[in-house]
Amino acid sequence: MRDQLKASARSGLIFGVVIIFLMLFGLTKTLSDILGELFNLQSITRTGNSGGLMLLFALLAWWAGSRAAKEDKENWKAVLRNGAVSGLVIGSITALFTFLVGSLDGADIEMRTYLAQLDRPSVQFLLYGRSIIAGALMTFFIFLIFNLVGALASYILETRHAGGYLQKKYLQIKDRISGTSIVVRYKEHPQSKWIGYGILLAGTLLMPQFLGKYWNYAMGTVGIYVIMGLGLNIVVGLAGLLDLGYVAFFAIGAYTVGLLTAPAPIPIQWSFWPVLVISILLAAFAGILLGIPVLRMRGDYLAIVTLGFGEIIRVLIRSDMMSPYLGGPQGVRDIGGPSLFGISLSNERAYLYLIILGILLAILLTNFLQKSRVGRAWMAMREDETVAQAMGINTLYYKLMAFATGAAFAGFGGVLFAARNQYTGPADHTLMVSINVLSLLIVGGMGSIPGVMIGAFVLKGLPEVLRELDIYRLLVFGALLVIMMIIRPEGIWPAPRRRMELHESGLEEIPPDESLIGEEG
Amino acid sequence: MSKTLSQNTAGPINTFLIVQVIISILFIAFLTWRLYTVIDSGAYGPDTWLRFAISGLIIGSVYSVIAIGYTLVYGILFMINFAHGEVMMLGAFAGYFVFEALKSIPVEATGLSFLDSYQIVSVILAFLAGMFISAVVGYFLERIAYRPLRGAPRLIPLISAIGASIFLQNAAQVTFGPKRRTYINPASLQRSVGWRIPVAGEEVILTYTGVLTFVLSILLMVTLYILVMRTRYGRSMRAVAEDKQTAALMGINVDRVISNTFVISGVMGGAAGVMWGIHNGIIYHYVGFIPGLKAFTAAVLGGIGNIPGAMIGGMILGVVESLGPAALGIDFQLKDVIAFSILVLVLIFRPSGIIGEVLSEEKV
Amino acid sequence: MSKRYLFFSILVAVSLILAACGGGAKAPDVCAENPDETVCAVIEPGKTVKIGYGGPMAGDYSAFGIDISNAGLLAVEDANKAGGVEGFDFELLVEDTQGSGEGGASVANLFVSDPDVVAIAGLTFSGATAAAIPIFNAARLPMLSPSATRADLTGGDQDVFNRIPFTDDIQGQFAAEYLFNVLGVKKLAVMHDGDAYGKGVAEKVQEVFTSLGGDVVAVEAVTPGETDYSAVLTDIGAAKPEAIYYGGYYPEAAVIAKDMPVAGLEGVILFSDDGTFGDTFIELAGENAEGVYAASGAPVSSPRVEEFNTYFESVYGDPPGAVSTFTWHGYDVTDALIQAIKSVAILGEDGNLYIPREALVQAVDNMEGYEGLTGMLSCNAGECNASGPSFLVVKDGAWVLP
Repeated sequence: MRDQLKASARSGLIFGVVIIFLMLFGLTKTLSDILGELFNLQSITRTGNSGGLMLLFALLAWWAGSRAAKEDKENWKAVLRNGAVSGLVIGSITALFTFLVGSLDGADIEMRTYLAQLDRPSVQFLLYGRSIIAGALMTFFIFLIFNLVGALASYILETRHAGGYLQKKYLQIKDRISGTSIVVRYKEHPQSKWIGYGILLAGTLLMPQFLGKYWNYAMGTVGIYVIMGLGLNIVVGLAGLLDLGYVAFFAIGAYTVGLLTAPAPIPIQWSFWPVLVISILLAAFAGILLGIPVLRMRGDYLAIVTLGFGEIIRVLIRSDMMSPYLGGPQGVRDIGGPSLFGISLSNERAYLYLIILGILLAILLTNFLQKSRVGRAWMAMREDETVAQAMGINTLYYKLMAFATGAAFAGFGGVLFAARNQYTGPADHTLMVSINVLSLLIVGGMGSIPGVMIGAFVLKGLPEVLRELDIYRLLVFGALLVIMMIIRPEGIWPAPRRRMELHESGLEEIPPDESLIGEEG
Repeated sequence: MSKTLSQNTAGPINTFLIVQVIISILFIAFLTWRLYTVIDSGAYGPDTWLRFAISGLIIGSVYSVIAIGYTLVYGILFMINFAHGEVMMLGAFAGYFVFEALKSIPVEATGLSFLDSYQIVSVILAFLAGMFISAVVGYFLERIAYRPLRGAPRLIPLISAIGASIFLQNAAQVTFGPKRRTYINPASLQRSVGWRIPVAGEEVILTYTGVLTFVLSILLMVTLYILVMRTRYGRSMRAVAEDKQTAALMGINVDRVISNTFVISGVMGGAAGVMWGIHNGIIYHYVGFIPGLKAFTAAVLGGIGNIPGAMIGGMILGVVESLGPAALGIDFQLKDVIAFSILVLVLIFRPSGIIGEVLSEEKV
Repeated sequence: MSKRYLFFSILVAVSLILAACGGGAKAPDVCAENPDETVCAVIEPGKTVKIGYGGPMAGDYSAFGIDISNAGLLAVEDANKAGGVEGFDFELLVEDTQGSGEGGASVANLFVSDPDVVAIAGLTFSGATAAAIPIFNAARLPMLSPSATRADLTGGDQDVFNRIPFTDDIQGQFAAEYLFNVLGVKKLAVMHDGDAYGKGVAEKVQEVFTSLGGDVVAVEAVTPGETDYSAVLTDIGAAKPEAIYYGGYYPEAAVIAKDMPVAGLEGVILFSDDGTFGDTFIELAGENAEGVYAASGAPVSSPRVEEFNTYFESVYGDPPGAVSTFTWHGYDVTDALIQAIKSVAILGEDGNLYIPREALVQAVDNMEGYEGLTGMLSCNAGECNASGPSFLVVKDGAWVLP
């Protein structure tokens, strides 16, 4: 029992600290507003939705309570006791915090100078617009009560009949679905997966017709990142070379198309299609050029050198020295777009189609390479370089080839990106691009083509959806990366081989939830 | 590592080697020519060169201290703690808050604030706070973001570290606000004030804050070196770096050692942060990122995983950054290009850094 | 734009005004003929008339975005208190461009996709604005920027972009003349932060200063975001300038001011632009701020400005101009757009509010004699404020006229 109480108190402590951080980040306010709007709650204070705040706290307390209840599911007394302990801890921590903040505010101390989110109105909001004591007590009781409620609810739902019933039902439905003729047939006839692909493809091709301008644009960005992700997948996922300077090739593609099609700074205005080919070749060439000196280096050195290469390219394109040729910080404007049979394709929808076409080509190429001799050589190299060499694989040659292919993909992405925006400048080519592409690979699942797509959606699409959260976008993104690595390191849709590898290493033994909650503390 | 490679590979490597040698000779010839032209032109007097050197050594010493944080963690876990720059940033903020708090406490006896009345105590308090907060952040960083990933492929903790870096940076931004803040130093540590050394008819200022930074960095590094090389605890750290399983069999608590490594690296980061604040004066949420990147470069330059390497790498990087563009007669905007080019050159000829890494082969 | 098109749009605008004067309560002709939302925004009862604002809301330069949008929100609040337009409320949509071209294009597409957005109070940075202009031009959304000052933004084959601050070129010219004529500087070092804005101004200063007969002895750029520039300043110091002109923003300017004594530049004048002006610079540079010059677009004091200052401070805690020099501009652009919308919006018989887009573009383009906080604004080919900057110097911890 002692252990249980300790564990509940500990879980309460973690929750309490996380909630205090939420207050410090000002996330309580944003989340309360969203909740309040969602449930149409009344607001007492002018500065934020206090009804939403109560709901938010209640939900958090519910969650904490149901976690505390897991310590001992069998005995309802223990469940209540654990819930109460957890509630007491969270309640007192948060109430103490609001009390402290309220008193400081009452003593006319401007906390805003140091803690940006704790300005006057926010403090009033955290106290529900009431007096300091009343506000703090209210917070305390909300947490205590809803911890108990959460604990009881989870006890009833999970251990008693309701939970068992739901679980049974779920299994029944699952069985029924997998027993239906379509699914069985699908499983029995692997060639029928082509039908699935066909439906997916048709859906993809129809999609741009139904999306508005904004979503066509946003999807286009996602698509460009899919192409780059597929490219980096070859370098990192297949050949095992950690490249943190991927943006360099993206920049080379973007600037080549910019310089060769825009009127300034170089007055050449070639048409889009030949320039596309030139850009891709140039990017691939740059990949080889970078590859020659660095390929003898081991993993982490390779990472830092490629990172340096990316930075060098960025510094060079914004430098005074190169600005007569590259446009300097102002970048390149009026980049020409593609046209076909005299029809300009410079609109979001046409670009989206072009990007989809690019993705299809990239997928075909990746698939082809993966299954060919080259792909096998890459994978052998990734697993063990020395053995691969001993088997007669010319590792330097294949490494260069991986670099060149990956760079070509990035160059292609750069061309599409620059042409679609009709502009490219140094701000488009920061380290964040490399990090984003690498992260989408990891999030989606390394070495897996559907994984890359999902990763791109999550990384470039989700922030657009999460615009509500405005200033918290990157904050949430960073936290998500960490959580993802802990609970599902193989990515959302991993390559089957990789999933197996990762699950050998005993990662499963780690209780995922604890790390998840601890993150924001 | 490089040795095995060149033995095993036959044809192409020689071609690469020849190409590399040719490129390097051309590069060195170019450097010599630029250097000769610049010195010959007499644009810079001895006082200017001295100023460059001072500025470079000071910033280099901070890089060194941060680099040690990377090196320690890398030496033990073989992972790049990408968030180390953010650990430093939070340490800098801690020091800032201490100064602000002490400034607001009046002392009746002197009629000044605590900060100006007890200056040495204030500075020590700021350093302690910075080191403490960074150590705590380092500890929790390891517990939350890295420990669950022990044994996973190397990319996984790297991504987690990148995520943690982004998270901490933005957490600092929303919590403290995007505004930049000025360290209000004690009165005798005014920035840009110091001893004036007459050189060639000019006065070169050797700032108090700069000297403090430099001396403190050297002290910290020497202390750490002794800790790692001479003490019992240091031995257990080295044992864990060598072979975790064997170390565990020898009765060493591997988890504890790793935790402590993060704490120590946090302490160094925090000290670097406060030094940064005291010397450079301006801090904000992004202040750790670029120095972090530079310091990591410095660690690799010196040979990651060993402490003298981090120190030498940091100093070299600092001096190259401050003196390089002038010596070569190119724009200061391109100093990062020079820094990274030197890194590439060093790695081509000494793939394990200037001093070489202290790692066991099989771990890598 | 072709002449015929211009003629047509003027015709439309004129006929609209006539229609409005006629007091016809039915939907305006152009809107009745083209029920398409791309020609005429239709705001249904209960919805708001939306004005878009895009700026850096997170990250390094978020101070600008937050400051300007805060001022814009006040303008919207004021307008709504005064009854909005025909009973419809205004709303300012604030979106994050991250200050980059990509972000600018993304936000532009977001606004373009919302049929209720009728005008754009932005964008903030020139890079993001450059990327957004073609998109807004295609959608016929008028822009009135508080702070995008790059000279080449106006003009070209578009007519939607307008701005109220003086351009980088004008600022550079005035600054060079002031340095040469008023301060009597003959040897100048020019520095910038390598970004479009700072570099643009700095290059103009260099050009004009040289043409005036001055000597530019050194040109260097710094890497923004760093907090130690002693090395690059030492390099500048070796050239023995009498003054340094710095093009860029306050964080870097503060670092330069701090590092100048160490680099052998004691007693050398630091002269900067309106990205440096503001109390934050003094706060950051401390004692080293003394004697630093900067350009300011801040308005001359008047009862109305004072009233605004007090109100702004009471709402947000900081006085306007504390974070950026564009607070007043932020209020002015939003308010000017509101006035323009009021002048073209027509309440239809069906209770919907009709806002003909082309007429609104023209109304902003031809804005005449708008009385804003920053002075009288009249637009001519996209430039709505031809007046130059005033130069201020830091004395005893405050910006004063020299």
